[in-house]
Amino acid sequence: MKRTDHLSWVDHFGLSRKDMSSILETALSKGALFAEIFCEHRFRTSIHMEEDIIKETGESISRGLGIRVISGDRTGYGYTNDPTPERIRAAALTAAAVASGRLNPGPPAPLRRVRTRPGIYGAGRPAHASSLSAKIGLVRIVHDAARFCSSKIQKVSVSFQNSLQYVSIANSEGLEARDVRPLVRLTCTAIAEKNGRREIGFSGGGGRMGLEAFGSGGREAAGIGRDAAREALILLDAVDAPAGDMPVVLSPGHSGVLIHEAVGHLLEADFNRKKTSVFWNKLGKSVAPAAVTIRDDPTIPFFRGSYAVDDEGTIPRRTTLIEKGVVVGFLQDRLSARLMKRPPTGHGRRQDYGCFPLPRMANSYIERGEYAPEEILKSVGRGFYVDKIQGGQVEDSGKFTFSVSLGYLIENGRLGAPVRQATLIGSNLDVLKGLVMVGSDLEFGLPTGTCSKEGQDVPVTDGCPTLKISSITVGGR
Amino acid sequence: MIRPPRPQDLAGLAEDLVDYGGSRGADEIEVSISDGREFQVDLRRGRIENLVEADSTSLGLRVIKDKRTAGAGSSDLSPDVLRALVRGAVRRAGLSEPDGCSGLAPCEGLKIDISSLDLHDPVVENLDAETKIGLARRTERIALADKRIVNSYGAGCATQAITTILANSRGFSGSFRQTFCSLSVGLQAGSGNALVEDFWFSARRRFRDLDPPETVARIAVERTLRQLHPRKIPTCSVPVIFEPMETSWLLGFLFSCVSGTAVYQKASFLSDRLGTRIGNARVTVIDDGLRPGGPGTRPFDADGLPCRRTVVVDKGILKSFLCNTYAARKLKLASTGNSDGSGVSPGNFYLKPGKRDPRDIAASLDRGLILTRTLGHGLNPVTGDISRGAFGLWVEKGEIVHPVAGITIAGNLEGLLRNLAAVGNDLDFLSPFSGPTVMVGEMTVGGAAP
Repeated sequence: MKRTDHLSWVDHFGLSRKDMSSILETALSKGALFAEIFCEHRFRTSIHMEEDIIKETGESISRGLGIRVISGDRTGYGYTNDPTPERIRAAALTAAAVASGRLNPGPPAPLRRVRTRPGIYGAGRPAHASSLSAKIGLVRIVHDAARFCSSKIQKVSVSFQNSLQYVSIANSEGLEARDVRPLVRLTCTAIAEKNGRREIGFSGGGGRMGLEAFGSGGREAAGIGRDAAREALILLDAVDAPAGDMPVVLSPGHSGVLIHEAVGHLLEADFNRKKTSVFWNKLGKSVAPAAVTIRDDPTIPFFRGSYAVDDEGTIPRRTTLIEKGVVVGFLQDRLSARLMKRPPTGHGRRQDYGCFPLPRMANSYIERGEYAPEEILKSVGRGFYVDKIQGGQVEDSGKFTFSVSLGYLIENGRLGAPVRQATLIGSNLDVLKGLVMVGSDLEFGLPTGTCSKEGQDVPVTDGCPTLKISSITVGGR
Repeated sequence: MIRPPRPQDLAGLAEDLVDYGGSRGADEIEVSISDGREFQVDLRRGRIENLVEADSTSLGLRVIKDKRTAGAGSSDLSPDVLRALVRGAVRRAGLSEPDGCSGLAPCEGLKIDISSLDLHDPVVENLDAETKIGLARRTERIALADKRIVNSYGAGCATQAITTILANSRGFSGSFRQTFCSLSVGLQAGSGNALVEDFWFSARRRFRDLDPPETVARIAVERTLRQLHPRKIPTCSVPVIFEPMETSWLLGFLFSCVSGTAVYQKASFLSDRLGTRIGNARVTVIDDGLRPGGPGTRPFDADGLPCRRTVVVDKGILKSFLCNTYAARKLKLASTGNSDGSGVSPGNFYLKPGKRDPRDIAASLDRGLILTRTLGHGLNPVTGDISRGAFGLWVEKGEIVHPVAGITIAGNLEGLLRNLAAVGNDLDFLSPFSGPTVMVGEMTVGGAAP
């Protein structure tokens, strides 16, 4: 794909700066105050290995543009993947249809390029430019590390994906932004079997880097395979989850999903602007013990959730949501920021050109506290230890559910038997209040996560230190 | 107005690429194209919030050379880009390993009249924006007229028209058009930190089958209000009644366990269970890809094989896995026409209804739970384990006494199917997975410590 590296932006999108201005003018023509073009050209490669063979490789190209018009709090959106002048004009007029026709905004401002945040993406060669054989080599390393970990490992499947996303954003206020975002992901599932019982384990790695994400000689790739196998093997001896209310200790890193679901989503500005989130009237109010500080940082170098500029052209910044237990901010996109009269935070993200942006998390985490992890575990007589959460879901009222794929019983301050398939439920305000101990060991979970909101998927990372929740409902048999 | 490209041109494009693949050394090649047009409007508190209208086309192809497979896809339909993708796929095929089960399905042709499947309604394609905005507005207005509803997540109306085209080097060439329309509203009730939420929708292929705003709004209001002032309950083991929406995910989970792909990968607890009992005599599950007007209906699958009706579970006995061509070869079975290109997807996968009125089932319950909503991802096909967050209605002596929140339900799919105590008569095909109200003899409901 070297050819595309030499393409100019006009070649990627077929649009000069003059074309962009003229499209924006059409989009404003029915009387809105804001119009925007989002162009995307994305290249993806995938490799799939299962049943001990490289089964299939894939390559795909996605290219299109979306035009957004905002009039008050109304959004009009049109998109096309056939960027002929007629189609683009039609998309612009579709988007313009939400405008009332009473305003006369005048011509769009001349475009000026914004400087995106440097140092976010791995400086090495994007995986897109590396040879397919090198990627297949990594897949085999992961596969073999899992497959030959134990004779109990029966099936292993490994998936590799990389993408390179070129985006170009221009709006009627004169903003023009460009970004080239690399992303790589390598995942493994392993199935172990013993006496007719089967269990599955999962692990993965990656980030906004090239193949250097997997260490020199694929050292870290082998770790991905071993971790997946190990999880399946541990689960072979796992017991059913206990049921009822009990103290819960959350593992560092993986449990960040809980922060993402239980707290992060409801601090996204749209839910608060619409007053459907329980946090909408809690700005400045204390909702958690003073040890709890929660942030979202899209600028952590090489992280899966990071970006140099968001999908509306805003330079992202680390945003504190809860500081020492007090709600201090929301994750903003342009629309919500304007309507709520708050500064934008650079969290306007979209899945692709077919979607308008929404306020989204990037890399969310709970800051480290002062307790040593052992001390936290020791404080629990009988309870539940959450090692790995496979996913969660929250509704605006704050009620949430997490599925724990691997946990442990806690007996007398020590880890006991492994536990499979448990569910944690609760409400976010109760959980925040119940965060009685915050560990000193902040880690981030697997760099493979994807967050879904209103049908749009975006890559994210979550993190947390070891945490203790005084009481939460655990579901099991 | 955006005009979609003419389907004839796209069918020609697909056939040209099939020929081109052959000329560049592919032993076999298939090309599929999806050409869609969508409209969606979301209103909130009477005002338009979002209005989206667009067309999009995407192409996928798969090449097999020396039993080695490579795939490619593009939303850029420029001929030079597509030809480069075909050449790249032929070259990349050499980097995969030979797979005896690879290769296209033999061409069986089409045995049915596509128009008899009722997939397409011209009314949906021609519905003007004002009508759709009006439907959404009326739905929300009716719902908000109930003063106990304190906020709205908005109402939406969406339409979609898709043309699917498939051509391959075994001589298959086919296409079909389908439409969908939907109307929905989400609501919130309660006050302070004690808020409850729910939504309701209607989704059909034909506009005249869509429920009117009154019905959608009324059900959404009822579903939201019935959750107000919930209580917690102690952990217990009681009979659980699944409302149809809940039976629906249970069937989705069963589908993921009888999918041929999961079965050959040993990623299903049912892998070695063909021909054995997995449920009691009340459990008959059918996948019918040809049900006229059904949400999962289609004339042929992504391998170009005719869709069909397959009895998956017959009175509790597992009779058939659902396979695409590849999984069928792996398992030495016949394809059931369920290919979706990369894996297996359902036609209309449903639990055969029984004779009982759902109200009678609830009235017969001495003490237990009606499951109304579930949250979370706790479904494990490898073990059949189920563990989810739940909301419901607590029943004593046949009467609903209060709503319940903050609970979990847990069990095992096979355990549930063996323990199915009643099956309702209220089957409706709202999604590719559907089922009537059912009652499970006993499940663990996790609440506060006993």
